[in-house]
Amino acid sequence: MRDWVRWAAPSAIVVSIAGPVHATEYLTTEQARALAFPTASRFVEAHVIFQPAQVAAIERRAGQKVRARGQQVWRALAADELIGFFVVDYVIGKHLVIDYAVALEPDGHIRRVEIMQYRESYGGEIASPRWLEQFVGKTSQDRLEVDRDIRNISGATLSSHHVTEGIKRVLAFYETCLR
Amino acid sequence: MKPACAEARRARPLLGTFVEIAAAGEVRGAVDAAIDAAFAVIARVHVLMSAHDPSSDVGRLNRHAGGRAVTVHPWTEVVLRTALELHRASNGIFDVAVTPVRRRGGEAFELVSPCRARVRRPDARIDLGGIAKGFAVDRALDVLGRHGMTRALVNAGGDLAVFGPDPEHVEIRHPCHPPATLCRVAVRNEALASSGGGDAVIVDPRRAAAAAIRGATVRAPSCVLADALTKIVMVAGEEAGPMLSRHGASALFLSSRGRIHATRDWSAGLRRAT
Repeated sequence: MRDWVRWAAPSAIVVSIAGPVHATEYLTTEQARALAFPTASRFVEAHVIFQPAQVAAIERRAGQKVRARGQQVWRALAADELIGFFVVDYVIGKHLVIDYAVALEPDGHIRRVEIMQYRESYGGEIASPRWLEQFVGKTSQDRLEVDRDIRNISGATLSSHHVTEGIKRVLAFYETCLR
Repeated sequence: MKPACAEARRARPLLGTFVEIAAAGEVRGAVDAAIDAAFAVIARVHVLMSAHDPSSDVGRLNRHAGGRAVTVHPWTEVVLRTALELHRASNGIFDVAVTPVRRRGGEAFELVSPCRARVRRPDARIDLGGIAKGFAVDRALDVLGRHGMTRALVNAGGDLAVFGPDPEHVEIRHPCHPPATLCRVAVRNEALASSGGGDAVIVDPRRAAAAAIRGATVRAPSCVLADALTKIVMVAGEEAGPMLSRHGASALFLSSRGRIHATRDWSAGLRRAT
């Protein structure tokens, strides 16, 4: 038989106004590319700046708004033969920003999806475009207080719904611009 | 044992959440291969036990509800058997039947022979969501061990398990105020799972009423047990004590009155948030 001890929970309401940020970096772009295409001899940058017609086509195919002006993508080559595409994308949820990579076969099948880094926030920072800048183009400066000590968290899980939506958009990008 | 000199931490979207795997081994290539294999095992569990995919084991069981028995993967059988045992031991609190059928009581499914199961009533449906995530974490950790990792952690959206010589420190989120944490616990060669908070609503299947407990965390020898026991603690609160004892588990929960209740054996190791 277990007996129980009880105490008052910390008052968390104050904390939630400017909550701590949990941030994790898993892989750099280079590491994620190499893991996705271990046989690739080189990666050729093929970044796309969207034309208005392309934005419309992606939005129609994915059934969602396109916010980015372009897409970071590399062609993976093994002895000059195309073995796949490596697309870097990010999604912004209510409480988090996620950089992730989608590796595609030449025919557009998903080879793997890997999270490169994410940051979560419960404050108002996400509304600020200046705050977002640090996630775009990997010029991350730690202007926010990041608790690097928090490595593992249990409870109140983050949904991966935004990444699922993002992957749909990446596939629509493939259909529109790479196929 | 040779010292570990390579470690990696990676994450993928799986099981409807973010699955994070950290491992340490002798060389980076072996660590990456082990993590890839562990992710593959989790994806396999997802494919077998997704309630949304009509071709999964669970999808086929639901499709043939009230009809013939369906052949399932040995892993699905293990999860079904565990669910059945916990359903009986908890007097029906743990239930994989989907509401509102679960209100009628009894077991929603039966195992008719090894790897063959059927959902009893034509209007019944099952969802292994409350237990399959923990099972997937256990399988992934097992793969990491068999790949020779010296320590490893698998965290599927808060359901986690670890092995290795040193304890891992885990922050337990406040279920109502996710940026805040309730406390920090050290886990070593065991599992931890949390329920509650966010949009999650745990319903007491016997009363069909939402649980009064806001969030519960259980540590147990395996993640499948920790995962399932959190659902029981969410409904039964302190009355779950004997079940926790029987499974070598301990728990803490946050009551609707804002008090933390923790089993005495665990409270000593907690570092409370202030």
